[in-house]
Amino acid sequence: MKIVVIQRLEPVLTEELELSDDGRDIDREWIGFALNQFDDQALEQAVLLKESNGATVTAIAIEDEGSDKMLKNALARGADAAFQIPLDADDVESRSSRALAPLYAAAIRTLAPDLVLVGILSNSDLYGELAPYLGAHTGWPQISAVTEVRLAAGKATVRQEYAGGRAARFEVDTPVIIGLQTAMQPPRYVAGSKLRDLLKVQIPELEVDGAPSADMSHGTTLALPDQSAGAVMFDGDADDIATSIHNLLKEKGFVQ
Amino acid sequence: MQTMLLWLVTVGALAVFARRFWLRLAPLSRARAANRTDQPMERLTGALADIGLHRRLLRFTWSGVLHFMIFTSFLVLSTAILQAFGSGLFPGFSLAVIGGDTWIALLQDIFALLMLIGLAMAAWQRFVRKPARFVGSKTGDATLIYLLAGGIVLTMLLEFATAIVMSGAPHAWRPVSTVLSHLLIGTGMTAQSASTAHLVFFWLHILIILTFLIYIPGSKHRHMMLAAFNLYFRPLTPKGQLPPPPTKLAEADTGTVETYQDFTWKDLLDTLSCTECGRCQSVCPAYAAGAPLSPKSLIMDLRDGLLTHEGVIDGDAHLPIIGGAISQETLWSCTTCRACMEVCPVHIEHVPKIVQLRRTMVEDGALEPMLQTAMTNFQSQGNSFGKPAKQRARWTKDLSFKPKDARNEPVDILWFVGDFASFDTRAQELTRMVAELLHKAGVDFGILYDGERNSGNDVRRVGDEGLFELLAQQNIDTLAGCTFNRIMTTDPHSLNALKSEYPALGANYDVMHYAQLLLDLIKAGKLTPRTDAGLTVTYHDPCYLGRYNGGFDAPRDLMAALGHTLKEMPRNRENSFCCGAGGGRIWMDDVVFKERPSENRIKEALELGEITHFVVSCPKDVVMYTAAIQNLGVGDRLAVRDLAELVTLSVA
Ligand code: SF4
Ligand code: SF4
Repeated sequence: MKIVVIQRLEPVLTEELELSDDGRDIDREWIGFALNQFDDQALEQAVLLKESNGATVTAIAIEDEGSDKMLKNALARGADAAFQIPLDADDVESRSSRALAPLYAAAIRTLAPDLVLVGILSNSDLYGELAPYLGAHTGWPQISAVTEVRLAAGKATVRQEYAGGRAARFEVDTPVIIGLQTAMQPPRYVAGSKLRDLLKVQIPELEVDGAPSADMSHGTTLALPDQSAGAVMFDGDADDIATSIHNLLKEKGFVQ
Repeated sequence: MQTMLLWLVTVGALAVFARRFWLRLAPLSRARAANRTDQPMERLTGALADIGLHRRLLRFTWSGVLHFMIFTSFLVLSTAILQAFGSGLFPGFSLAVIGGDTWIALLQDIFALLMLIGLAMAAWQRFVRKPARFVGSKTGDATLIYLLAGGIVLTMLLEFATAIVMSGAPHAWRPVSTVLSHLLIGTGMTAQSASTAHLVFFWLHILIILTFLIYIPGSKHRHMMLAAFNLYFRPLTPKGQLPPPPTKLAEADTGTVETYQDFTWKDLLDTLSCTECGRCQSVCPAYAAGAPLSPKSLIMDLRDGLLTHEGVIDGDAHLPIIGGAISQETLWSCTTCRACMEVCPVHIEHVPKIVQLRRTMVEDGALEPMLQTAMTNFQSQGNSFGKPAKQRARWTKDLSFKPKDARNEPVDILWFVGDFASFDTRAQELTRMVAELLHKAGVDFGILYDGERNSGNDVRRVGDEGLFELLAQQNIDTLAGCTFNRIMTTDPHSLNALKSEYPALGANYDVMHYAQLLLDLIKAGKLTPRTDAGLTVTYHDPCYLGRYNGGFDAPRDLMAALGHTLKEMPRNRENSFCCGAGGGRIWMDDVVFKERPSENRIKEALELGEITHFVVSCPKDVVMYTAAIQNLGVGDRLAVRDLAELVTLSVA
């Protein structure tokens, strides 16, 4: 049983953001990057399946600043192998899911796993489009919004979440591509000693037969949320403040 | 016949004693190694001074004095024990030739009395004064010891007194026994009956001594035999340097502590040497806050766990240490403030054991959720805030000048800023004040900008040794590429790592706290404070500046130089009370604390009455105590001031 898990870095959006000069993207110069939290779940699920079913887990990522560190982390967490997919930054206009899907798909074909796990979303994969793209490229079954994965010979049983607390259970033939929402246990902490032991390890490249595809849509403008007029601050002692709130609520018609 | 009998019971008792002792000491021979045999002279003189002067014991006056009385009396009275056994086992043996009937006799009489007074004081302490530090100690054990020790002294005095009655004349060198002999004669004792009584008391004396001997190895009074060794084998490394995890003996060895044999022999000796005095418990901030940790119980539980595991005492021999003998919550409750170790009369090392067990939990990935988030942030961004490294020096944006980048140009002073001072919004204001002060004083300084990582001090204390090494090595490598004379930091935790931890990794620096630097600048006339606006303040010693690195005076001298009047809180200097943030606690849920240590501390300051400001010298303290004052709603009575603020206000 072989599992491939996709790991993606994404910009940390909780920090103060600035826009790029053309106003179509965030300025990536000053922001940090971190592992996409859904991919974190996918990795944990892969390791859980390894522990329960004896699978081997291979983590893959598109080469980028910090991707080797991210993959070492995956090794420390329990992945058996990790590869970076080389990508010449000058060659590629966009890093959208559509653009990169052919590279991931080519890597998947090379590694020939029974199961591919990828986080359902990321903040550059807002509609969860990567998993369906991979299904289309490989011609394998694909299912997203999954919160449980169990494996048996040639089959995977998964649970798909819907709104309102409803869920369905599916049985699919492997190989299959899964867009994972949560792992069956929260991601575990990996002791620094494991990372330290991997310090000198080189993450190998996986040469693949494929090229990024072109985007079919482009963002035109991006705006930062306007924070100037979001709140009214009241001054004074508790009585003054209570009166002001009451007046405001009256003015807006919430109270008589 | 009597001689034969005495030989029999003595040898028998000694054999039982030796076996009972060995059963408890044997596990030490199977434990991991610890290098505690270097610097024999230093070890010996320190241990003798501690024992002879009762340095630590006398910090608790009543107990210290009574222990000193019992201890010296015991030494003197051992001559009487020698006399009793010597004369019984080897007929004709006598100390008379060296003064056994004269000055030694006098000393024995006086110290017998002192011993009885000491025992009475001890009993008074335990049963009447009942200090809270005894909660959890074994009272029955202590009581039995008082009775046995009292019995030994009383039978000895009665033996001497009956001898005086037999001789028919007072003994010039035995005043106490002579008075006792008069009492005996008053009850109608004759020389004839005295002879029988003498024999009875002799045997009672012998039998109680042997009972005491047999009892000791299973009692906390084992410390009579072990404390001196524990003092001798005390750590001589810097206080701020944690022992590394044990060296791996084999590839499969994780270097963690799963069973008692995974501890070092010194760790096990510690547990056996504990006197259950509870001094550590009485100073522990976690215990005071109602957290499930008492350093005393921790040591006692490890000891009982060890002895159960060895089959010496009843219980489940397979109980694991973590989650069995000691709960995870107990281990996470410690702030690593070191108050327990500072006060323990037998130099027991609580913190290294707690950290070693934490390392085991970290290897197993058993972290509480909040802590896991912080630790994951360290791994990905090199700081606990989870902020990109690029934002580390953002606080410099609003300065009136741009600090040098010490990675690109030589500086006199390299400022290691630290996480809190860099990222916390309240602390950032103070960081900027320090920068402006240095700039004003013309100090040639620089910072590492995004090249700095968390120093790893608290990461190490959380138990993630590998992550500590990664962070430390990154800093050491960055510093190796810089040219500077000294390192300065406002953060005592970084100070401890740079000064005490990094040398173990081969990196030695001259490290100073900003209090010292600001004081030096004032002394050198580079900063001129006005001293006419003096406040009445109190000062909190941060654990990692004071107790760990001896930085007690510079902050106090600095406040004096600014014209402020310092009113000390009762717990000051070595005895300072931790704010509760150390050892990684700042990243954990504080629901374990029923009363937060920081709030306990603020109440202590309020008790002083006339002070208006609570002065701190650690960025974490600014955050902790500002919150505590807010929570207690006493903002109108007391305000937190960092030293940097005091200096800034005064030189403005
Ligand atoms: S280091 Fe401080 S918190 Fe930890 S056990 Fe000792 S006294 Fe208590
Ligand atoms: S550890 Fe030290 S201070 Fe604490 S009870 Fe034992 S002997 Fe006393």
